[in-house]
Amino acid sequence: MQHLFRLILFLFFLLLVCGCSQRHLKPETSDVNSKAQVADQAISDVDPSQTDTENKIIASQNDEDGVLESDESFDTFDDEFDEFEDEFSDEVAVEVSDPLGGYNRFMTGFNDKLYFWVLKPVATGYSWVVPEFARRGINNFFKNLYYPVRLVNNVLQLKFKNAGEETLRFVTNSTIGVLGLWDPAKVWFGLEAHPEDFGQTFGVWGIGPGPHIVLPVLGPSNLRDAIGLAPQWIYLNPVNNISTVADLSGLEKIEELDKTETKLGILALERVNNTSLRLGEYESLKKDAIDFYPFLRDFYEQNRQRLIEE
Amino acid sequence: MRILSFSVLMLLLLVQPAFADELALVKKNAEQRINAVIDYIRDKNLDKNTRNQKIIAAMSPMFDFSQMAKLSMGKRNWTRMTPAQRQEFNELFVIRLQESYLEKLDLYTDEEVVVDQAKQVKTRIHVRSHLVAKDDKIEMIYKFYKKNNQGWKVYDVEILGVSIVQTYRSQFAGILKNQSIEDLLEKLRQTGGFTVPTGKY
Repeated sequence: MQHLFRLILFLFFLLLVCGCSQRHLKPETSDVNSKAQVADQAISDVDPSQTDTENKIIASQNDEDGVLESDESFDTFDDEFDEFEDEFSDEVAVEVSDPLGGYNRFMTGFNDKLYFWVLKPVATGYSWVVPEFARRGINNFFKNLYYPVRLVNNVLQLKFKNAGEETLRFVTNSTIGVLGLWDPAKVWFGLEAHPEDFGQTFGVWGIGPGPHIVLPVLGPSNLRDAIGLAPQWIYLNPVNNISTVADLSGLEKIEELDKTETKLGILALERVNNTSLRLGEYESLKKDAIDFYPFLRDFYEQNRQRLIEE
Repeated sequence: MRILSFSVLMLLLLVQPAFADELALVKKNAEQRINAVIDYIRDKNLDKNTRNQKIIAAMSPMFDFSQMAKLSMGKRNWTRMTPAQRQEFNELFVIRLQESYLEKLDLYTDEEVVVDQAKQVKTRIHVRSHLVAKDDKIEMIYKFYKKNNQGWKVYDVEILGVSIVQTYRSQFAGILKNQSIEDLLEKLRQTGGFTVPTGKY
């Protein structure tokens, strides 16, 4: 008797739970469905040439959450705000120390002019002359050459699997990929690049970013990342160590290669080539900002933080 | 007693999938919308204006734009605004978000978008997607919260680890430190100047 009673109780309970879980889901589905209907109507009203894609998605032009929100919801903000208050703050997400703010703002302006007056026109002209596949190839070539930077930093961060993958990539792309011009490691074997630099390594070691510094030509950085550039440039940068690279490749020694002009020329080519593949990105980013310098600064610092956490 | 523990077990089994179902649903929904947008971009027959209109129409229901506007302003500053200011700010902000989004789409025309994970984060759902470009991968996270009676809505988008709402919020707070709300609205009216018409206005 007692068992029967429990069984009934259990069944009742089960029913209740099923009901709940269904009801839990229902608003979502029915909401979506009804919206889909409204949307289909709205679209067929507006546009007679209805296609399959339009049926597939749930589109609503007169969506009540859009711009046409009534005043009403603006007043019920108290509870909602509290719910989100832990997540956002008036301060920047990552604490940014910026004692050089004045200089940084100036340098951001300088780099901006440099981009619009020099880099962009040159890169645009270059992109007219050199076809895209060639520019991608050159970009891949340079990326492949930066393998030592990625290898050393992956190892210093104890990411041995990534270091191994990088090595496989380098071997594959330097050979089958014809000097790294092409990226078969990714296309054929699904091996992804794992870019790491000294700034990130220092970050992983627990060193904070320090004050934000905008570098001439190179753009946003901070003390930690800027210091990280030094060992990278001196020991691992393929352009700076170009005669070593030539040596290792079995080429004859060419005096010309060690000249600063040559190195700057190569760096300029690399930069112009890269920019030619990214025309418009900087401009668009700039429009997203209301006040450009702090926007760029916070963007950089948050992005670096994310890269270090990975 | 055994039945009781059995019922508890059943309860756990039944409750668990409920959220998993919602996760799957939110993910699928986001996936469909994003794919639809990509279809529109690839459809060469559409002129830009209609295309943009369709894209916005496809994405809008997923977003809670007013919530994003509010959160970007923050509680302290939002309470200082008059209803008229709130209304105008909301409109300017939403247009801005949409235009910025459309312009980004123009930049990344040939990329692939993969929606690869929906994750529960406390009471929220984070849907992670990747824009797979020719030489890099851009991570985008759509953050959903459950809005009363309206299902799951996006309240923030994170691109490359940078939260859009947070970025706007620190900018607004920075400006409002020394300037008035009217000054900020004036700035919003002027800046931007995106070349892409949303077609809505």
